[in-house]
Amino acid sequence: MPFEQPLKKFVLAWPGSLTEQITLTPTGKSGGAGEIFGIDTQPNLLAKLYHATTTPPQLNHYQRKIQWMLNHKPTLPKISAEYQGIVQLAWPEAMIMHQSDFVGFAMRKIAFDQTLELDYLLNRRQASQEDFDIDYGKLVAVCFNLAAIISCLHSMRIAIVDLKPMNVKVYKSELFVSILDCDGFHIATDEFRSDAPQVTPDYLAPEFQGGSVTHPEAQDRFALATIIFRLLNYGIHPFSGVGVNSRDYPPELAGRIRNRLYPYGNSAHKNVLKVPASVHEVLPNALRELFDRAFSASAINRPSAQEWVASLSVYAVKHSGQMLPCNRGHLKFSSSECPTCLREQLIQGAAARRRSFLTRMQTAPTRTLKYVKKTLRQTHTSPFQAALAQTQFAAVHLAPRASLSTRNAIAAEILWIFGLLISYWWIK
Amino acid sequence: MSLMLTSVWVVPLLIAWAWRSRQAATASAWLLRIAFAGFGAWAIWFGLYVHEGEPAGIFFWKPTLLYWTLATIAIIAPMLSWTAPAKIIVGAYFALSSREWRWINRGFAIACMLLGAVNLLVASMTSYRNWVDFKFSCLTILLFIGLFRLNFVWLPLIVDLSFHLYRRTVVAYRYVSQLLRTP
Repeated sequence: MPFEQPLKKFVLAWPGSLTEQITLTPTGKSGGAGEIFGIDTQPNLLAKLYHATTTPPQLNHYQRKIQWMLNHKPTLPKISAEYQGIVQLAWPEAMIMHQSDFVGFAMRKIAFDQTLELDYLLNRRQASQEDFDIDYGKLVAVCFNLAAIISCLHSMRIAIVDLKPMNVKVYKSELFVSILDCDGFHIATDEFRSDAPQVTPDYLAPEFQGGSVTHPEAQDRFALATIIFRLLNYGIHPFSGVGVNSRDYPPELAGRIRNRLYPYGNSAHKNVLKVPASVHEVLPNALRELFDRAFSASAINRPSAQEWVASLSVYAVKHSGQMLPCNRGHLKFSSSECPTCLREQLIQGAAARRRSFLTRMQTAPTRTLKYVKKTLRQTHTSPFQAALAQTQFAAVHLAPRASLSTRNAIAAEILWIFGLLISYWWIK
Repeated sequence: MSLMLTSVWVVPLLIAWAWRSRQAATASAWLLRIAFAGFGAWAIWFGLYVHEGEPAGIFFWKPTLLYWTLATIAIIAPMLSWTAPAKIIVGAYFALSSREWRWINRGFAIACMLLGAVNLLVASMTSYRNWVDFKFSCLTILLFIGLFRLNFVWLPLIVDLSFHLYRRTVVAYRYVSQLLRTP
C-alpha cells in the first residue's frame, strides 16, 4: 500500500561513509519492486524504497547490488557542459537506510516535464500532443543516443535485459535518452553477478522466448534493434505483418518472434507479407542490413550496440550531409526517397481505398437489385453481362413476360394460390 | 370465428376481382376457373362450415375426381379448338410451338387419367396407409407447379415490388429530411 505521510528518520548513506538524516515525501509513483519518494534535502534526487513485502534474502541481494553499482558507476557518453542537468541513467547515487537497515537507494531525478516516454515517439500524433514534433533527424539522434548508452553498459558487462520503450525517457529539446529501472539491470562481472528476471515478450529475442535469458547482451542487441526499427518505421514492430496462411501465423508477437517471421528483410519472407504502411524500403541500406542481421540471422551475427552507434553516427551528426530536406521540407536520408512523403502516400492511398470500399458496400444492395432486374428482363446494356444472362437461360426458351400491371399480376397470382390450395385439399 | 374464416378467403378474392385484368380470358382458362370454382366452393363449404364433414362415399374418390376433371378439360378443349389447358398452367414460362403444346397437353391429360385410375386402384387394393402415402407422393406435382410459379412469376414480381417500395422509401426519406432541415 503506498505511503501518504512523510517518512522520517531515514539516512542517506553516500559512498565513502558520509551520511545525512532525510525525510521522504511520497510521490504516488510505484513499480514492481519499490515505491518512489522525494528527498527533502536533495531536490535533485529521488528515493526508491523496496516494498515491505521484499524478503530479507532479496533485500540483502539488492543491497549488495546497489553497493556494487555505487562503486562502479559506468562511464557514459560525454555530453557538453550546457547539458549538465541531463540524466542518462537513473543510476544509484546513495543507499537509503532505516535504523541501520538497507531499505532502498537514491538516484538522480529525471525532469519529467522536459522528457517524454520513448513510447510516444512511436506515434506521431501522441508525440505532437506532448509538444514534440518528430522528424527523421530527431529519430536518428534518439536511436544513436540510446545505442551509445547501451554500448557503454555492455562494455562494463552490464545488460538491461528488459529493454523496452516504456523504460526509456527522451529529453524533448536535447534528444538525449534516459534509462530507468537501473537496479533491475543484469550484472555479470568477475566480482559480482546479478540476474535480471524481468522480460517483455514483445522485445524478447527468439532464442529466449519461452525460456530464460542466458545471454543478456544478445537480448539487449535484439531489443535495441527492435526499438530502432519501430522508431524509424512509424512504430511498426519488425515482427508484425500479414500471414500468407493465416492458420500458421501466430496471433501474438511473441509467437512470430519465436518463429522468426520477419517480413521486412532485403529478401522477402515467403510466408509473411509486410504491413502495407511500412516505409522500411526507403531506409538506408546500411541500416537495413543491420536489421536483417538482427532479425533474420542467428544471434551470433546480431549487430552490437557499438555497430549501431557507428552506423547511426553518420546520420546523427548534422553537418555530415547524410540527412537532407525533401521537396516538401521533411528531413530524409540523402540516399533514398523521403519516408515521410512515402508514408503520407501510403496512408492516403489506404484512405482512398477505404472510401471506395465503403461506397461500393453502400451501393451494393441497389446494384444487386438492378443486376437481378436486368437479368430477369434481359435488358443488360453491357455486352458481357448480356452474354452471361443469355447463357444462363440458353437451354430454355422463355416466354416473354406478360405485359400486366403489378395489380393485375397480383390478382392473377391470388387465383393461382387459390388453385394450388384447392388442388392440395382435393388430393391430400 | 365464422366471420374471420370467411374473410380469410373472401378478402383475397375481392382484391383479385378488383385488380383483375380487363383483357379477355380464353375459353380454356374460363373452363379451368369454373372447374376450380366448383372444387373450391366444395372445399370451403365442407372444410370450413360443415362440421360433419363431406359425404362418406366421396372420400376415396376425391383425388380421382380432381385428376379426371383436369383430364377431361385437357381432352375436350383442343377438340373445340380452344387453347391447350396445359399451356395455361405452364405456358407463362416457356415459348413453345402450338404443336409442342398439343403434345404436352396430351401428356398432361394422360397423366391425369392415369393418376385418377391409380388412386382408385391403390385405395381399393392396398392398405389405407399405402393410399395415404400415394396421395402425398402425388403432392410432388403441386410442389413442382408451385416452384415454377415461384421462380418465373412470383420472384420477378417481388423484385418489381421491392424496387417500387425502395423508390418510395427514398422519396419519403428525402422529403422527411427536408422537413427536418427546414428551420
